[in-house]
Amino acid sequence: MKPAFLACALAGVLFAQQFKFNLDHLAPKASEKVDLSLTANLLQLAANFLDTNDADEAKVKKLVAGLQGIYIKSFEFKKEGQYTKADLDQIRNQLKAPEWQRMMGFESSEDRESVEIWVRNENNKMTGLAILASEATSLTVANIVGSIELSDLSELGGHFGIPKLKKK
Amino acid sequence: MDWLEQELKQALARKEPAADFDARVRRRLVRTTPRWLAAAAALVVIAGGGALYRRHQGEQAKEQVMQAMRLAGSKLNRVQAHVQAMGERQ
Amino acid sequence: MIEIQSAARQACDFGELMREHRSMVFSVVYHFLHDRDLAEEIAQDVFLSLHRNLGELESPAHAAHWLRRVAVQRSIDAARRRQRRPMVALESLPEPSVRPSPGDPLLGEMLRKLIASLPETQRMVVILRYQEDLDPSEIAGIMGIPVGTVKSHLQRSLALLREKLERRGVGER
Repeated sequence: MKPAFLACALAGVLFAQQFKFNLDHLAPKASEKVDLSLTANLLQLAANFLDTNDADEAKVKKLVAGLQGIYIKSFEFKKEGQYTKADLDQIRNQLKAPEWQRMMGFESSEDRESVEIWVRNENNKMTGLAILASEATSLTVANIVGSIELSDLSELGGHFGIPKLKKK
Repeated sequence: MDWLEQELKQALARKEPAADFDARVRRRLVRTTPRWLAAAAALVVIAGGGALYRRHQGEQAKEQVMQAMRLAGSKLNRVQAHVQAMGERQ
Repeated sequence: MIEIQSAARQACDFGELMREHRSMVFSVVYHFLHDRDLAEEIAQDVFLSLHRNLGELESPAHAAHWLRRVAVQRSIDAARRRQRRPMVALESLPEPSVRPSPGDPLLGEMLRKLIASLPETQRMVVILRYQEDLDPSEIAGIMGIPVGTVKSHLQRSLALLREKLERRGVGER
């Protein structure tokens, strides 16, 4: 009984958010907020309502099939200086755990914009994704939990108004 | 503004919808469910065990998933576009 | 009595809002979808939605902002529901037999087709910038995307449109 209970508890932990956001203190300062916590059950429910006859919804349905959770917090502020470097550093510190690896990113001091993509690997398989995106007046952190193929990620280009990247 | 932007302003000047637009909207307003029928439908939902509520939950979850994909996808694409631009400059 | 007065005031407000903003709503949808019939239908839906939400609106300015936002969302949703993608693929736009020059009405039609073939977000950014004369921060607020992204989309769209026009021999004299 005990091992089964532990296995269930562990499964719950594995499928929950993979790192803490600790950003709730920014909410009162934000002019616009997005706060999404989509657990496995909600993703399954949503998948039942995604229309396979719609190209975009069909792609998302395929993507969601391998996921156990999507957690996103995004804030827009009316003025600069509403979040600090420490707000992002405390997340980066969590991503220093050995299973996380920074896959790609960029920083533009001119546009005051940075985006980082981190990947979680376990047993040579990608099991999570972290996105940290900041601009002068906005901050977005996302954790996508589950099995994701890079090809599925790149297929997001060309949808939702995102320009399709030319393949060389 | 340069010549292209001036041309864009002209090309995208506002247009009027059909002359009977207002009338069509008002006709559709009249056709919407009368209150007594909406109340009766609500009673059916309550009595019927929540199938409609489940549908509402599902549609809401779907919208949230689409929003999440939009947001995450736009950030990923931003990085990929930047990386590609850097590659083209080299 | 109070209810009747409130309903009457709402009815007046709704009619006034429709008269004032119908061309804005219709034009955003039409320029985005490049389909007049569909644009009429979607624009009607936006005003039906306005009627349902009239009680939530705080001022005429709020109503105008709300209408723009809903017109943008419904346009993008309608584009995704359509089976086929843009009306005209940029690459397949034929060379005109007579090259329109700046100021020529033919150029306007060419531009509208080119805009209709842009990816959705870029297309809407261009429409909100040049039809509605909104600045990037206003566009960012309506579309729920960062200001930097709006500026990038504008730059890329203008560069792309310029390139396509130049290939067709259309440019500044």
